[in-house]
Amino acid sequence: MRYMTNTETDQSVFGGGTKNNPVRSPHEVPSYSEMSFYGQGYPGAGGNIPGQHPPPGNPYGGGVPQYGGSAPPGGPQYGGIPGGQYGGPYGGFGGGHGQPQSGPYGQHIGVVSDCQWFQTVDTDRSGYINLKELKQALLNSNNSAFNDETCMMMINMFDKTKTGRIDLFGFSALWQFLQQWRAIFHQFDRDRSGSINSNELHQALSQLGYNLSPQFIQNVVSRYCVRGMSNALQLDSFIQVCTQLQSMTQAFREKDAGMTGHVRMSYEDFLSCTITRLM
Amino acid sequence: MAYHNQYRPPHYNSAPPDQAFLWNIFQRVDKDRSGSISDTELQQALSNGTWTPFNPVTVRSIIAMFDRDNKGGVNFNEFAGVWKYITDWQNIFRTYDRDNSGFIDKNELKQALTGFGYRLSDQFYNTLIEKFDRQRKGQVAFDDFIQCCIVLQRLTDIFRRYDTDQDGWIQVSYEQYLSMVFNIV
Repeated sequence: MRYMTNTETDQSVFGGGTKNNPVRSPHEVPSYSEMSFYGQGYPGAGGNIPGQHPPPGNPYGGGVPQYGGSAPPGGPQYGGIPGGQYGGPYGGFGGGHGQPQSGPYGQHIGVVSDCQWFQTVDTDRSGYINLKELKQALLNSNNSAFNDETCMMMINMFDKTKTGRIDLFGFSALWQFLQQWRAIFHQFDRDRSGSINSNELHQALSQLGYNLSPQFIQNVVSRYCVRGMSNALQLDSFIQVCTQLQSMTQAFREKDAGMTGHVRMSYEDFLSCTITRLM
Repeated sequence: MAYHNQYRPPHYNSAPPDQAFLWNIFQRVDKDRSGSISDTELQQALSNGTWTPFNPVTVRSIIAMFDRDNKGGVNFNEFAGVWKYITDWQNIFRTYDRDNSGFIDKNELKQALTGFGYRLSDQFYNTLIEKFDRQRKGQVAFDDFIQCCIVLQRLTDIFRRYDTDQDGWIQVSYEQYLSMVFNIV
């Protein structure tokens, strides 16, 4: 998988103690784009911190899209798709990209340094990050705030306490999730515009294993792009679309026992499987 | 099987309030005096009856419904629609919140949706409560109730479009299903 090359992983490392990762004063709200550079203090592809790079020979390294295949414990409940190769008419949908958040690093190796970010984002010092705090901390490339739907979706994904807010461990997982999606986003933003247009999205999704028509992709982009902006997805909508796509693919897959690519379902079947999986 | 066409609360038709009254409210909600009420402004003005902020996704859905030219907010004329929409839901909510708890429990939800014409299994109501109970109380607050009804109506509309012979069953391909769910049909 291309975004898992060593140079890419450097960006998503939780850079405890790097010089680019100072603790900020509370009034200085970090933006996501700022945060994402804090890993650059590391020397290249050294892998000098144990556990950051996948051991040789594991599925992530070999270009085999088996992302979620060896997910660490605690990963799957975030609603990603367990890995594994799927044949069938819709290709290996999602199988190529199970869970960005479970990632190659596995354990919460970055928790200590995440703690500093947690405290910066947790502006009311409650020990939890709520929707408002998360929204304040995240920015798209064009400096717009992350949209509510995406923030809420992520809170729901990482809120193990089911209280509508996330604790330190949830935050750590969320951060990893964000970093990995960001890396994918930038990898596929080939013209470096800071947004993903339908061509770029089509390439991204193809490589992630989804077999979708250009028409479908175009419809998704025009549905999810910010009004008044060019017809392209910012990071927040990109994450929203990809996560929703994973989840809905899983919903469909559960109904499509015979892997025919077609499903017959009743009204309540449809409501039930969709609402359950709606992010 | 019951379907609804409109994203508006069924069975309720409150009288439109007079313009001076609305203008007064509009001005108070439009905090930055931009002439347009944004998501944040509307969210701050709304209460779900608890101390938690009004569901931002519900706010977004409502604004999007009335924001005709996609400007990201509602002007005074559109606000009249928003006001009526929310008031109608409020009346419905009160009608079905029979114990006046400020929440709608599973039985009340069942009565409400049955009243709207939906015929759904008991198990499905568990799914709905599980999904829309943002406050984890085993019942839904006002904002989540609206959201629940909006999602249900939206999915029902989409289902109906595919269920051309109206027998309550559809056959869809993978991409068709995604198009339905992504609401881009």
